[in-house]
Amino acid sequence: TTWPNTDCFSEVAYSQSTGQKEQLSRCLQRGIRRVQDLCKVLQLPTVFEETAVSYFQRALQHPSFHLVSLEKKELLGGCCVFVTCRQHNWPLTMGTICSLLYAKQELFASVYLSLQKELGLSVPALSLGDLVKTHLNSFRLFQHAADVPAPFVEDKEKMVARTMQIVELASETWLVTGRHPVPIVTAAAFLSWQSLQPAARLTCTFTRFCKLAGVDLPPPAHLRLKELLEIFLRMASQLAWLRVFNMDKKTVVKHIGDLLQHRIFLLKNAFCLEDEEEHRAVALGEGSPRSPPAAGGTAQEEGCPSEGKRQREGGARPLLPPCLINPRKRLRTAAPSTSDSAITGNEPISDSEIEQYLRGPEEIRAFRKAKAW
Amino acid sequence: MDADSDVALDILITNVVCVFRTRCHLNLRKIALEGANVIYKRDVGKVLMKLRKPRITATIWSSGKVICTGATSEEEAKFGARRLARSLQKLGFQVIFTDFKVVNVLAVCNMPFEIRLPEFTKNNRPHASYAPELHPAVCYRIKTLRATLQIFSTGSITVTG
Repeated sequence: TTWPNTDCFSEVAYSQSTGQKEQLSRCLQRGIRRVQDLCKVLQLPTVFEETAVSYFQRALQHPSFHLVSLEKKELLGGCCVFVTCRQHNWPLTMGTICSLLYAKQELFASVYLSLQKELGLSVPALSLGDLVKTHLNSFRLFQHAADVPAPFVEDKEKMVARTMQIVELASETWLVTGRHPVPIVTAAAFLSWQSLQPAARLTCTFTRFCKLAGVDLPPPAHLRLKELLEIFLRMASQLAWLRVFNMDKKTVVKHIGDLLQHRIFLLKNAFCLEDEEEHRAVALGEGSPRSPPAAGGTAQEEGCPSEGKRQREGGARPLLPPCLINPRKRLRTAAPSTSDSAITGNEPISDSEIEQYLRGPEEIRAFRKAKAW
Repeated sequence: MDADSDVALDILITNVVCVFRTRCHLNLRKIALEGANVIYKRDVGKVLMKLRKPRITATIWSSGKVICTGATSEEEAKFGARRLARSLQKLGFQVIFTDFKVVNVLAVCNMPFEIRLPEFTKNNRPHASYAPELHPAVCYRIKTLRATLQIFSTGSITVTG
């Protein structure tokens, strides 16, 4: 045997020979390509693509994202695009990104929150006005089609304008804070569509409307619709020419245009605003309307005093988030007794106290027999 | 709310999480067989043991690490942790109660006013983050205290840290 001539093989580190040109790992290259494809599908400007790619590169260098599964790395790309869009006030929802990536929203949410925390990114909240315009763009009611009856076709500009007004009203009446935005916009779009031509459209249900429009009907949208109608009914009770009529959830839709036109005045009259009640209470010499709150926080404690309520015509309701108006039953926790509050943690432990946590020998035998351990 | 109004706020501690070590290996199967009020999670390799007084739940690993949750004060957490260690001693393990540490305290407080979360977030960046698509509350982090507050529109605030 002859030894091969090894002089030509000198010890060279991989990074100096082959690895020097390999700046990016395959995983990173694939991830960057995915981010770029996502930006192209969403038709985002080039600057968004550059920002999203830089976030993705930064994230992958972070130890928290080094060893995550491929599935999470795919979602990481989507999160970077999502964050970039939000920072540029581009109205992209999580639902859209999740449907494009075929991802579960819970997993996407966990990756998004990790990304936000690890990179210290500041993500502004979604602008509802932009979301209304984007969401309504996907509705198929603005052009004549075979499956859409002629009376159901609507002018886009009118519908967007009225939906924006209803969404603003929802925001002023505590229906938006803390809630998912898309169901509110869908419910507002339905009401604005119905109110623009009520004669032909009052018989159309919410479900049928969403089917005709070609959009999903998210489950909370029915509740948001109900809450919006309650607000409108309250406002209608303050409008002089509607007081004589017996308004219900169907008939109030015909007057949404008038209600929106006078909404500032009607909201003030229909709902009890806290500042006004304080001034009235002080003027009447009743003292502060607020008593020190208990840990439970109910509507009665935070709303108007009952005397103030009775004084108003039609019984104005306080303007509060719906969960305070209809609070769920809360289990009362027992107040700590004096013996509990004297605990130091170093008290002696009696055998009898511990024996209740141990099984007796017969019990162990019976258990072993039953479980066949 | 006026700055000079004197409204007392009740801050209620709802949960205290503590850890301790037993400095010995624990046979989970033996604990599951001979202990009462025990749930054996074989797939994840831990045992849950619940005490009645105080009302706490302990998660026990075979390495000897134990996490106790459910206490409503730090003293109560230590009270329960010691009782748990004593129970393990009675089961025959050479338990030494060490490295006791309270790792998390969860408290709830109610403000006497509602909070408009989008405006609050805008005025409190970068500490506050609000994602209504994920969670109805604003997450406010205080890095210096290592505390996280969940602020709801109803005025309810949950503090953890």
